[in-house]
Amino acid sequence: MRQSRRLTLIAALIVVGFIGTIAWTYFSDRPQPLETPLYLARPVEETGAINRVTGIYLNYRLLDTLLEVLVFSVAILGIQHYLARSKAVRLPRLMESEVVRTAVSLLSPLAFLLSLFFVLFGHLSPGGGFASGVIAASGLLYVGIALGMKEAEQRLSPKRLGRVEKGVLLLLIAYVLFPVLLGRTPLTDLLPRGTPGHLLSGGSILIYNLLIASKVLIGAWIAIVSFAQHRGEL
Amino acid sequence: MTAQWILLGFLPIVAGIALLQSRRLSALIGMGLFSFLLAAAYLLMHAPDVAITEATIGAALVTAIYVLAIRRTGRLIVVADEVPGLMAREGDRITGLEYEILAGFAREIGLDLTVRFVPMRRIHWLLSHGEADLGAGGLISSAPPTGVRATPPHLETGLFSYSAAEVSDENEETAHPAHPDYEGYFVDLADHGRHQMLPSVVHSLDLARVLALSRRGIDLEGLTRRDGTFAYGFLVSENRQEIARDYANYLQRLRSSGRLDAMIRRYVV
Repeated sequence: MRQSRRLTLIAALIVVGFIGTIAWTYFSDRPQPLETPLYLARPVEETGAINRVTGIYLNYRLLDTLLEVLVFSVAILGIQHYLARSKAVRLPRLMESEVVRTAVSLLSPLAFLLSLFFVLFGHLSPGGGFASGVIAASGLLYVGIALGMKEAEQRLSPKRLGRVEKGVLLLLIAYVLFPVLLGRTPLTDLLPRGTPGHLLSGGSILIYNLLIASKVLIGAWIAIVSFAQHRGEL
Repeated sequence: MTAQWILLGFLPIVAGIALLQSRRLSALIGMGLFSFLLAAAYLLMHAPDVAITEATIGAALVTAIYVLAIRRTGRLIVVADEVPGLMAREGDRITGLEYEILAGFAREIGLDLTVRFVPMRRIHWLLSHGEADLGAGGLISSAPPTGVRATPPHLETGLFSYSAAEVSDENEETAHPAHPDYEGYFVDLADHGRHQMLPSVVHSLDLARVLALSRRGIDLEGLTRRDGTFAYGFLVSENRQEIARDYANYLQRLRSSGRLDAMIRRYVV
């Protein structure tokens, strides 16, 4: 009891400190930007992406996004590593009710379609690789519920997919480092910008979105399956 | 602009509601609602990309994973043999004294009660293998088997045995165990009783089962009431000591507030 009270106190201190820091920075004198930053001035012309947000995080701030992908990969690795230590449990299967199974089998194609839309049109309208990957992973989770997790796990083995996931990450890194071979700075976008508003525009943004979406999809699926294996039947 | 502030004002309220739920499923739904409101707020702030991500991760994926995760932990799984008066199906509901006690207990500790009717011999195995939290259904557990523990008794009862003259004194205990000792379901027991086969499948029966059988017009000749005091209790796995402790506290309060006596009067006449 005393320990939990101490933990609560520490948590409260952290929250108060966090809020305090934010308030402090907010109310103190901040240096005002002298001119409009580059990425706000002509983002559409420079990136070729109508969706300026995508233009920023997959062009100007590509390095941040790459680190984010790396953080995600580390999280998935952590899940795999720590759950591999604990023994896998095999509990008798809990059958979902007919209502749930029918509903999820209707929902999963919609989820896949939506995911495809978000990844292909990420540079034209809201969406993008991360959201698309998560939606597709939700779709796979629905399939898992409908089929039973064990069956879904056998069809989409996380062991094999794990290699694909690492491969996608390596491909992404190789892709952004490729300009070095041509004597350019890394992360340079070599593809033409295209006409903003067309599907094939925005330079490499579509490729990044596809790679990130497949990475997030496989990673989230591995996480779901690992939890299912080690924490009971989903 | 106003809508944005209203949404933002709702966020801490919804978060508070989610925190205060004792049922985990309700708390989860509160969390999902929080994510949806936040996504709507992001949308109104002209950040549709963030809104989509918040909705897909916060409201869809995380909620789904949590719901699946609490399917086992969020419920109190009780395995029981059906005994009329204590725990029995009535239409699509379950009624009985033990069911009412356990339903109140589950509510108190914020879990959903799930009762699975299983054959008598399975109860011990299911408990000791962590497949269920509590065993119920007219169990007399003065000397529980290994791996399980008995909870404090909630109702006194009597025990009836077939007087077996051929049984010698030294294995009296194995021949006449201090608990109902048939293997299958109670309904099977009634079937055996109708065919006068009862003595071949059971040695000892408790008061509730004897009453239920005699109410069905089954011949119980040869059964004699045994000396000594017997009482119904529940069985808990040895690994689930926190449930045993919580239940003991709950029963104590039920008893001292007089609610237990009221329940007993309602079901046992």
